Amino acid sequence: MRKTADVLETVVVIAILLVLVHTFLDDYAILADWSVGARAFLIWAGLAFDIFFTIEFLVRLYLALMAGEGATYFLRQRGWIDFLASIPLLLLNSLPHALALLAGAGLLSGMGSFLNVLKVIKAVRIARILRLLRVVKLFRGIRYARSPMAQAHVSTITTIAVSILVLWTLVASALEAGGVIPGVEGPFQAGQARRAAVISAGGPDAPGLALRAAAVAAMDPTVLVVRPRGGAVVWSRYSSDYYAAKFLPGDYGYYVNQGVEVFTDERPQGMSTAREGLVFFVAVVLIVLAFLFAYAPRFAMQVSDPIHVMKRGMAESDYNLEVLIPNGRETDDIFELAALYNTVYLPLKDRAGGADAPAGSALKIDDLQDLANKG
Amino acid sequence: MRAVDTTTEAVTRFATRLLDTPALRSLPSLQKEEQAMNVLRTSGASLVPVFTSLGLDVSRGWREPAGLVSRAIRGATDRMLETELADLVTARVQLSFLPGLTAGRTVPARARDDLRGLIRQAARHPIARSALAGSLAVTRSDIIDKYIPQVFERKKYLYVELSRVQRLTLKPDEVADLLRFVLLVRPAAYLSMTPGAAVDRDAGYAPVQEQYLSKVLPGIAKQAPSFPPPVISLGLRAALSYLPGDTVEATARLGAILALRGRALAPGVTVDRGADSPDKSWFNVQRKNARFRGLDSGMLDELYTIAAENRW
Repeated sequence: MRKTADVLETVVVIAILLVLVHTFLDDYAILADWSVGARAFLIWAGLAFDIFFTIEFLVRLYLALMAGEGATYFLRQRGWIDFLASIPLLLLNSLPHALALLAGAGLLSGMGSFLNVLKVIKAVRIARILRLLRVVKLFRGIRYARSPMAQAHVSTITTIAVSILVLWTLVASALEAGGVIPGVEGPFQAGQARRAAVISAGGPDAPGLALRAAAVAAMDPTVLVVRPRGGAVVWSRYSSDYYAAKFLPGDYGYYVNQGVEVFTDERPQGMSTAREGLVFFVAVVLIVLAFLFAYAPRFAMQVSDPIHVMKRGMAESDYNLEVLIPNGRETDDIFELAALYNTVYLPLKDRAGGADAPAGSALKIDDLQDLANKG
Repeated sequence: MRAVDTTTEAVTRFATRLLDTPALRSLPSLQKEEQAMNVLRTSGASLVPVFTSLGLDVSRGWREPAGLVSRAIRGATDRMLETELADLVTARVQLSFLPGLTAGRTVPARARDDLRGLIRQAARHPIARSALAGSLAVTRSDIIDKYIPQVFERKKYLYVELSRVQRLTLKPDEVADLLRFVLLVRPAAYLSMTPGAAVDRDAGYAPVQEQYLSKVLPGIAKQAPSFPPPVISLGLRAALSYLPGDTVEATARLGAILALRGRALAPGVTVDRGADSPDKSWFNVQRKNARFRGLDSGMLDELYTIAAENRW
């Protein structure tokens, strides 16, 4: 049972590492102009990861509830991170993307139900940021210090830092989307809507719709397709084959005015978002690495290691090593305590036990039993 | 009768294997014995299943079978000790200091045998055997060879005490050799002591009195006739307590410190991250306890400094 649990934990850690690579590639693929096929693969992989982590969260929650420890798991054992990095992502990010991908094949032949999905994709793209919370889950599997206290502290501080970064970015995006704080996305969308309105002026039956579309498209390279709602295309920048080869559903902007549909190219905006995403991703990874490789050793050296040495000195009769007090840290509380341990406790222990007092033994009773059993 | 023989064989085999377990492998024989005895003493009651597995009768409690195992351990230790002594007296102790201390007299042919005999005698006496554990541990280690060259290089307190106050005209390697001799003779100072209730506690390390030493010296010197009594005395006096102003030779004072250090030596000990080095830690603790233990605090200060500088 324990072995199975260990194997499953290892699988989860591997999945977390893979999903981080996936998150990086998700943005990098847009910047590097990867093929539609490769980007579609990333969308399906993202869906698979989110389903996996949703199942993992539900299993952990179920087991915790069965053990009567649901609240402990969710609040104290970072179940809330498991939750935020699974179900919302599945529902708000990977599933809509996958649905859009399924519907996307018929885009230019017109599929009304797809349009709503398209809007959802744009709104929730920011939710991908929640994936980075999974970094924190890695700390469950990493034993970078002997002391559980050191591990717990570094894990906590990393959770706080990454959670604040991720959640604040999410909130800021929501505030930006709601117009509470100014952003670049709103004015961009408004500009696109204005251009779509100019093209659509007079409706689908107005004379010169194709000419207006061509004129506006000449000034704005993001205008892609103009057509009456549900009707045939009156103007298009590229052929249908080109769209199929270069565009995924999330790459389009969609505006409808007076019965005229205008599709725009959102890829430049997508590239900008992907660039920001990568910068953010690298920042989070650097923060985690800094805690892991810069803060954790310092914490160990300045807190848990001295405590470990003092604990052994108090628990074991023949362990009499002093605590090493680093230069410049003599006034830290822990090293003031260590100095007392070195200069008061150890000499008293030496006197009380006598240097010649029977020391503890390196032998264990089990060792003796094993030897006796050998005959 | 056959059953008894089988049981004895099983216990002897057990004792030999016990002293060769990985946990004890790096220790000198007497420290192995001490560790094994500690388990018997502190966990004897929990070892009843072990005694039963060895075919020992536990119907009258654990003390009787524990006594049998103790004797077997002691026998196995003695056999190991013989091998250690042969190596120690032929390879580690050169007696190169003897001409320097006896106006150029050559080393008598029997000198090594005499020394070996003295050590064997100490090993047969409970208190002296305990003292021998520390002496053997330190003479087998590289402590003396590490510190003495540093002492001569620094030319501070220890050097002054050895070469100006004690007036030794020996080279560093001869002083190191003399210290090994002092440490091996020191346990003989306890040969005339009667083991008492406190045998486990202070055995072999409690200081002896100067008058007591002057009484036992002739007898001990007679057992090692190859060495002039003043040379034997240098070793025995390492069992004296020292207070500032006392006239105890520097080699004896240093021998007392090193014997105690040997007692606490744990070869191959892993120094935890965040812990100071073993020698530095030990010398620092003993600096605080110098008066209590009758050790020369000046020597401890210098040894501590050497350990700190070299991260030993």
